[in-house]
Amino acid sequence: MTANKSDIELKNFFIFNSSYDSKEGEEYNKVLYYYPPTDDINTQVNNVGLVEAIIKFTGNFKPDGPLNSLHTLKKRQLYFEPEDHYWMVMTLNLPFMNKSRNGSTYLEYVEEEVHDSIYKAVLKQAYSMYRLFSGTYSSTDQQNNVAALRSKLDHFYSAYLKTLKLSNCDILNVFSGIHFLPLDKQNFLNVQCFINALECNYPIIKNVSFLFNDSLIWSGIEPDDTQVIYQYLISTLLPANIETELQGGSIPRNPSSPFSSLHYGRFITGPSNLKTADSVGKVPKIYLNNEKDAAVYYFIVYRALNASICLFINGDVTLTVELFKELDEFMGPKLSSIASDIAEYCTRHIIPPNTSDSSPRFIYFNKLNLAYKSTVHLDHRQTGNIACNKEAVQIIADMNSKKDLLGYAGETIVKTMNDYWVVGKVSNLREFYVVLQHKNASLIDISDEVKKICDSELKGIFFHPM
Amino acid sequence: MATNCEIEPGAAVESALVTTDSYENFQQMSSSLEEIKNSNYAAATPEEFLDNCNNLDNDIHLTCSPVTSSSSRDEDYLQDEEWLSKSKHVFVLSSAGKPIYSRYGNEDRFASYFGIMQALVSFVQADDDSIRSIHAGDRKFVFLFKEPLILVAVSKTEECTIQLTAQLNYVFNQIASTLTLSRLVKIYEQRRNYDLRRLLTGVDRFIDHLLDFSENEPAFTLGAVQCLPLAASVRDSISTAIVQSCSKIKNVVFGILLAKSQLITLVRMKKYYIHPHDLHLIFNLVQASESFKTIESCWAPLCLPRFDSSGFLYGHVSYLAEDCQACLLLLTVEGDAFHSLSEAKQRIVERLRRGNCLEAINASLTTREETCMEMGFPELRHYLYKCKSTAQFYQPTKGAPYSINCKRLLNLYKQAHYKLHCPTRPLKLLFERNGNDALLAWDTPGFELYAVLEPLTETSSAITTVGRLLSWIKKREDKLFQLNAPTF
Repeated sequence: MTANKSDIELKNFFIFNSSYDSKEGEEYNKVLYYYPPTDDINTQVNNVGLVEAIIKFTGNFKPDGPLNSLHTLKKRQLYFEPEDHYWMVMTLNLPFMNKSRNGSTYLEYVEEEVHDSIYKAVLKQAYSMYRLFSGTYSSTDQQNNVAALRSKLDHFYSAYLKTLKLSNCDILNVFSGIHFLPLDKQNFLNVQCFINALECNYPIIKNVSFLFNDSLIWSGIEPDDTQVIYQYLISTLLPANIETELQGGSIPRNPSSPFSSLHYGRFITGPSNLKTADSVGKVPKIYLNNEKDAAVYYFIVYRALNASICLFINGDVTLTVELFKELDEFMGPKLSSIASDIAEYCTRHIIPPNTSDSSPRFIYFNKLNLAYKSTVHLDHRQTGNIACNKEAVQIIADMNSKKDLLGYAGETIVKTMNDYWVVGKVSNLREFYVVLQHKNASLIDISDEVKKICDSELKGIFFHPM
Repeated sequence: MATNCEIEPGAAVESALVTTDSYENFQQMSSSLEEIKNSNYAAATPEEFLDNCNNLDNDIHLTCSPVTSSSSRDEDYLQDEEWLSKSKHVFVLSSAGKPIYSRYGNEDRFASYFGIMQALVSFVQADDDSIRSIHAGDRKFVFLFKEPLILVAVSKTEECTIQLTAQLNYVFNQIASTLTLSRLVKIYEQRRNYDLRRLLTGVDRFIDHLLDFSENEPAFTLGAVQCLPLAASVRDSISTAIVQSCSKIKNVVFGILLAKSQLITLVRMKKYYIHPHDLHLIFNLVQASESFKTIESCWAPLCLPRFDSSGFLYGHVSYLAEDCQACLLLLTVEGDAFHSLSEAKQRIVERLRRGNCLEAINASLTTREETCMEMGFPELRHYLYKCKSTAQFYQPTKGAPYSINCKRLLNLYKQAHYKLHCPTRPLKLLFERNGNDALLAWDTPGFELYAVLEPLTETSSAITTVGRLLSWIKKREDKLFQLNAPTF
C-alpha cells in the first residue's frame, strides 16, 4: 500500500421520491434530503435525474433484483429503495493513488477497494437507523406532510452522516452481526430470572434486552430490530456514555449504608439524576416491528457496572419519576450483583485472543442467529483497529460477495502476493474466514491448520461437507 | 507449494507472440507499419496510404451478406420476452448515439434506446468522469467508451465487469480491424452523424461470431492461443517451408498456418511480434468466412489493432488444399504482392506435400486429444495450462461431466482467472471446492495452471496430481507447443 493513497470519501447522499409529480422546472420537489447542502439546486436536480434515468434504463431489461450500483472511473454510486418509490442514493469518491509514469504523474483510482456489498449495507443501515427513531418514510409523509418528512430527514441525516466512518467499513457491515457472550448455566439463569422478574412485576415493560460490555446475552425483541438496536448501542450510545463514566467515575450510589448491597445502577436514557429529577425528561421513543405492524415503544437503557439493560415500554403510557425511582430501586442492586458475577466469570473463563502478530485470525458469522465472532477486529466499534493485513480483510469481502457461486457449501483457500493465506468456508448459512501468515507453508499445511482452528474455535459446529 | 517450480513445460527463450497479462491496458497499441515500410524503403507515404484506405470502400471484400432491410413490424423488443431473456446483449453506437450494431434484433427498431445509452455516457462524462458499469440484480450493464464509439454489454452471465469490458474491446478491435482506427476517427471527425453501418456491411457477422467465439474459447480468457499438436520435426519443416518459399518476397511480416482455431505455426519478420488479441481476430476472420473455403485464395486488407491501428496489412488467405483444411495467411505491407504470394503459397504446398506434412496435419486434426481419464489422471476432470513466456496454452478434450455442460466449466475458469488477476489483489494460488467440483489455480512466473478436480479431492492429493500433470506436460511439450519462433 502506498502512503499517499487517499481515503474513500462521501461525495453526496440524497433521498428522493420518484413518484412525486413534478412539472418541468419543478423537479427539485422530488428531493427530500440532500447532502452536502452546498450543492446548488441545479446539481441536485441533475443528480436525481441521472438516477431516474438509470432506474428506467435498467428496469427495461427486467433484472431479477434491485438496482445496486453505478461504477465510474472516479466514483461509486449505491442505490437502495427501502419503500416503494423512495430512493436513497450515496455517492462515494474512490480512493486514488498518485502514480508516475514516464516522468508525468497521474491519478489511479482503485475501483476494487470499494465493495458494493459493504457500502450497500452502510446505506441500508442508514435507513434502518432512521426508521428505528422515526418510523417509515411513507408513514411520516401520510400522517403529517412532505414538509414534516423533509425536516425529520434533515434533522436525522445531517447528524448521522457525520458519524459515518467510511474508510473503516468492512465485511462486518455486511454481516451487521451481533456479538454474543457465551455464559455458563448459572450466570445465564441469573440473567433470565432477573428479566422474568422485571417483566412480571412491571407489565408495562413489553420486552427486555441484556448486554454485557459490547456483547449481547439476551434479547426479547425480533432479530432485525435487535440488529439495529445493537448497532446503535455499541456504536453510539454506550461509547458516549462510557466517556462520561470515565470522567465522573463509576461509584456506588449509596455508600452511607454498609448493610445494603452495592448499587451502581443509573439510567442512560431517562432522568440521569433521580435525586434531583422532578420530571422524567425526554425519553426516546422507537419504532419496532416495522416490517409487520409498527408499534412505538419507550426505549430506556439502564446500566450497572458493565451490564446494560434495555427496557421496551409501551409507547402510550405516561412515564413518571416515581416509576423510574422504583425501577432503579428494583434493578440497581440485582443488576450490580449479576454484572460483577459475570465479570468474574469472564476473567476466569474467557481467554483473551492471542495478540501476537502472526497468529491466525478469524471471522465467523451465522446468518440464522446473526452471531458473529472476530479475532481480526480488536473491538466491536469499527474503529479500523484490525489485527491483520487490510488486504486480507478485503479478500474476505471478495469471498463473501462471491459466496453464492459456491452454492450450499464450499471452501476457498488463496495465497496472496505477499504470502498471506486466506481461507473461507461456507456451509448452510454459516461463514468462517481465517487469515494466516506462514511464509513457507504449503497448501496442505494450511488446510491442516484450518482444521485445527475449526476444532478449537467452533466446537460442535459442523461444516458440510469438508 | 510442494511441487517443483522449476518445471515450466512449454517455456521457450523466444516467442512469436507478445506475451501478455490479459487485464493490461487495452488502449495500448503500437505502430509498427511505418517502421517496416521505412526500414524497407517502401513506396507509400502515410498520406498515400491513408488515401488508399479511403478508396477501399469497394475493396473490402468482407461484404458477404446484404443488410437485411428493416422488416415490416416495428416490434418493441423491450416487451419481447425472448429478446429480454438473452444472456448477453451487445450494442455498438457512435458517440453521437447512432446505432451501429446490436447482437440480437434489428438495431433500428430501438434507436431511442441507443439515445439513452449515449445520454448516460455523455452525462457522466460531463462531470469529468467516465461510466464503467451499472449493476442491477443479475444484470450487469458494462460500458466502454473509446472514441468515436460507445460499446455496451448487457449481461446476466457470471463474467465480471473486467472480462465483459475485454470482450467489448475485442468488438471494438474487430471494427477497427476492418476500417483501421485512424480511418474510423477521421470519418467521425468529418461527419459526427455518419452512419457507420454503410462501411460495415457484413461485419455484423464477424462480430456475432467473435462474441460467440470469445464466450466459448478459453483462449480469450487466458490471452493465449492453442497449438495443434504436432511432432516438433513436422512443425519445424512446415515453418522452414514457409520461410524458404517467401524468402525472395519483400516485406512479408507474418506467415500464419492454422486449423480449427489452433495454431500450426507462426513465422514472423525479425523484431516484430503478433499480439494474441490480434491473432484471435485472425482466427475469427478465418472461421467466420465461409468464402475463404470456396475461393482458391483471397486478398484481404486487414488491420491488426494491437500491431498497428493506423493502417492495413494485406493478407493472402487460402486453404492449403482440398485434402487439407488448414488455412494459410501471409501478411504483408505491400498492397500489390498478391501474385508473388500466390506463387509462394503454391511452393509452400508443394514442399509440404513432399515432406508428408499435410498427412501429419490431417492426422492430428482427426485425432481427438485424450481426456484426463485417458491420460491416466482419474481424479482430474479438465485443466488449462498456459505457458506465459510463449502465450500458448493446452487443454485436453473435455470428458464427463463437462462434455455436455461446458459452459459451467468455462465459467469456473473465468472466475478463477479473474481472482488470480484481480488488478489490486492478485493471488498466487487458489484452491476452491464445493459440491460440484474442486479447482486449483496456480500462477507462477512461468506458467498458469487451472486444474478442475473431483469435488472431494483433498489438498494433498490435489498437489500430487498437479505435480504429476506438470511432468506429463513437460514430456510432451515439443508436441503441444511451438517452442521456437522462426523468422523470415
